Amino acid sequence: MTSARPYLYLAPTLAVLAAFTYFPLARLAELSLHAPGIGTSLGPWIGFSAYSTLFANPLFWRVAGQTLLYVFASVPIAMAVALALALLLDQPLRGVGVFRVLYYTPVVMPTVAVAALALWMFNANGGIIDYLLHAIGIGPVPWLVDGAWALPTLMIVAVWKNVGYYMIIYLAGLQSLPRAVLDAARLDGARPIARFFTITLPLLRPTTFFLAVVALIGSFQVFDFVNLMTQGGPSNATNVLVYFAYQNGFEYVQLGMAAAISLVMFAMVLMILGALAWAFNR
Amino acid sequence: MIRRCASYAVLVAGLIPLLLPFYWMALTSLKPKREVFTAVPQWWPAHPAWDNYRSAWVAEPFAGFFFNSIVVTASIVALQLALASLAAFALSRFEFRGRSLIFWIIVAALIVPVQITFIANFMTLAHLGLLNTYAALVAPYAASAFGTFLLRQAFAAVPRQLEDAARLDGCSGLAFLWHVLLPLSRPTVLAFALVAVVTHWNDYFWPLIVTNNNAVRTLPIGLGMFVGQEVTTDWNLLMAASIFVSAPMLLLFFLMQRYFVQSQLRTGIRG
Repeated sequence: MTSARPYLYLAPTLAVLAAFTYFPLARLAELSLHAPGIGTSLGPWIGFSAYSTLFANPLFWRVAGQTLLYVFASVPIAMAVALALALLLDQPLRGVGVFRVLYYTPVVMPTVAVAALALWMFNANGGIIDYLLHAIGIGPVPWLVDGAWALPTLMIVAVWKNVGYYMIIYLAGLQSLPRAVLDAARLDGARPIARFFTITLPLLRPTTFFLAVVALIGSFQVFDFVNLMTQGGPSNATNVLVYFAYQNGFEYVQLGMAAAISLVMFAMVLMILGALAWAFNR
Repeated sequence: MIRRCASYAVLVAGLIPLLLPFYWMALTSLKPKREVFTAVPQWWPAHPAWDNYRSAWVAEPFAGFFFNSIVVTASIVALQLALASLAAFALSRFEFRGRSLIFWIIVAALIVPVQITFIANFMTLAHLGLLNTYAALVAPYAASAFGTFLLRQAFAAVPRQLEDAARLDGCSGLAFLWHVLLPLSRPTVLAFALVAVVTHWNDYFWPLIVTNNNAVRTLPIGLGMFVGQEVTTDWNLLMAASIFVSAPMLLLFFLMQRYFVQSQLRTGIRG
């Protein structure tokens, strides 16, 4: 017998998700298919013309390309560093707990504080990073002022902030691996590097998949560092999709265009997640 | 032995890029203005200027922002815990039509972040006249797909026999949730609450969308405005402000670090 109670318990959660997660997707579609109205009302139906304008705009393609570059460069790098750290921290070393805590610390920092600190450290005028690089004969590097360097600089900041989170997830994965298999490989005399590639890494596949999904979704959302450190500049070199939608919506007051950008980005995320799921479940 | 030494060497070397920024932030926050820009960096504050913290605190209405952050974060976390407990209770301890469909509807929300829906949510709240209110800051986060998922896993692990025994003692329904399920799931509840506190205390994006008035602005927005004004001038004050905005989370983290780590271990992603 089914009573009404479980539905009652689920109702508040479902109502909030409907109102602020699922209904907005439909609302975005509606907005993108209508001309701007007055206030929050809709103008006349314009079909897909917002999308054709968007796809004809070279800036959109540049922004989309930069977003993909940001995601597909920073996520694998951060994951590789995190895995290396997790392997080190999975050993029975004295003081390993202290290292785990320290490496996780940047994760709990507000992005705004990290952005403020990064602006100061990477500053062309008195920044400590250029000073230290100069001491070993490098630089000065035009971190945030040069179009070629600005996006990589944001990636460095993001990797610093996120690597501890990825590290803990890999550590959780490592600690749940069957010890018997790993011990057997060690007794067989397999070399550490061979053991890692033939046993540990394949066994970690579910963790790697989960982490890749979380990291991809998270990295596509990059906005805070862009808004606080570069405002998309210099000359759009760090403009990314969320920032582009924000600009269109709130600076140019083109809500329909902003909605179209958000939905295109959502479609991109879904396609990449689909490809990832396919690649990992093959 | 050699391997152990090498591991330590790598771990310690890694701490340099990790901790140097924290040191530089603290150091700069204590430097008087004339020591901020020096040809050779000063690695120790010769004349620690504690007054920087006071100057930064009053440079913006940070006291009000602090209060707003506490109200908003506490409301969000309380609502998320309440709603997620109820939903997880239903999903873990009841048989009903559409259970797995509803479970997937909730989990799928994880791939639709507010960074995608913000234009629509902004318009909804503007239409309701709720911009620049606590309600606008809290409402979209009142439910948590992640929290529901975590609590469902924890509740499902409580054995059936315990439920039957509790029922014989007259403890069923919400009483069972409150007196048995939640206390038994304490580590998961705590871990989720901590992650939620950090996430929403630090949130910059959504408050930026729905506030443009100091009366409801939160700390990250206040610090963000300070970034916009102070850049290239008073780095010592900006670093001091960054520290007092971050300090509550750093303190919480160092006091409760065991649970932060556990929250990751409990997400059910084991291989």
